Amino acid sequence: MAAFDYRQAEEIRDAFARHGCRYLFIGKSGAILLGFPDTTQDADLFVEKSERNGESLVAALREIGFAIDDDQSTQIRSGKDFVQLKNGPFDLDLIFAPDGIEHFEEAWRRRVVVEGFPVCHIDDIIASKVATNRQKDRESLPRLESFRLYLRRQQRG
Amino acid sequence: MDMKPVAETAEKEVIPADLLADFEAAARRPLRQRMRYAFIHTHKPVLDDAPFRAFDTTADYRRWCEQNLPEWLGYGRVRLPAG
Repeated sequence: MAAFDYRQAEEIRDAFARHGCRYLFIGKSGAILLGFPDTTQDADLFVEKSERNGESLVAALREIGFAIDDDQSTQIRSGKDFVQLKNGPFDLDLIFAPDGIEHFEEAWRRRVVVEGFPVCHIDDIIASKVATNRQKDRESLPRLESFRLYLRRQQRG
Repeated sequence: MDMKPVAETAEKEVIPADLLADFEAAARRPLRQRMRYAFIHTHKPVLDDAPFRAFDTTADYRRWCEQNLPEWLGYGRVRLPAG
């Protein structure tokens, strides 16, 4: 399987918009969209957890080319917190309840839009990584925190 | 690594010079190019061996990672030593 690329991100953006699915790029993939220079393997999406949004999500994913059967569709729509997809054109993690972020709506209000891609605010990306506290998150946090300082300075001009 | 502070913010926090240079270089590249540099794909044992997994809670997913994935993948949580 090839690595996730810009065209595939566009496919997510456009298909999710067509189906009215609410989501945000999160994790290191989100930070990369914000300008963070680092490497990662997968795209992570923070998806609003609701029956209607779940239906939109499944429809959009199928349109992109994910082979989601009826049982998997039911699981996605039934309120799972975390779904890992490796049955499509690229790997995708769907996170409905990320560590460190209480409500989707709050993250949505703070979102940053980059070339049409809705992305979690850097504060939320860092809060999630701090709360998750995995070895790989710990290793990237000092760089991410420096990147947050850089973004703040850019915003101040 | 050059850790000389060159950029001081109002919060008196500093961005190491090498990181600042990385951020500024990245900012000069278009997003499409940054993504080409950023996303890589290598096979992750166990993790990549099923086409679909769903977990009731994020805690269940974290626990599954710790119990099933090789430690070197880095998905284990960091625990502070007791005491």
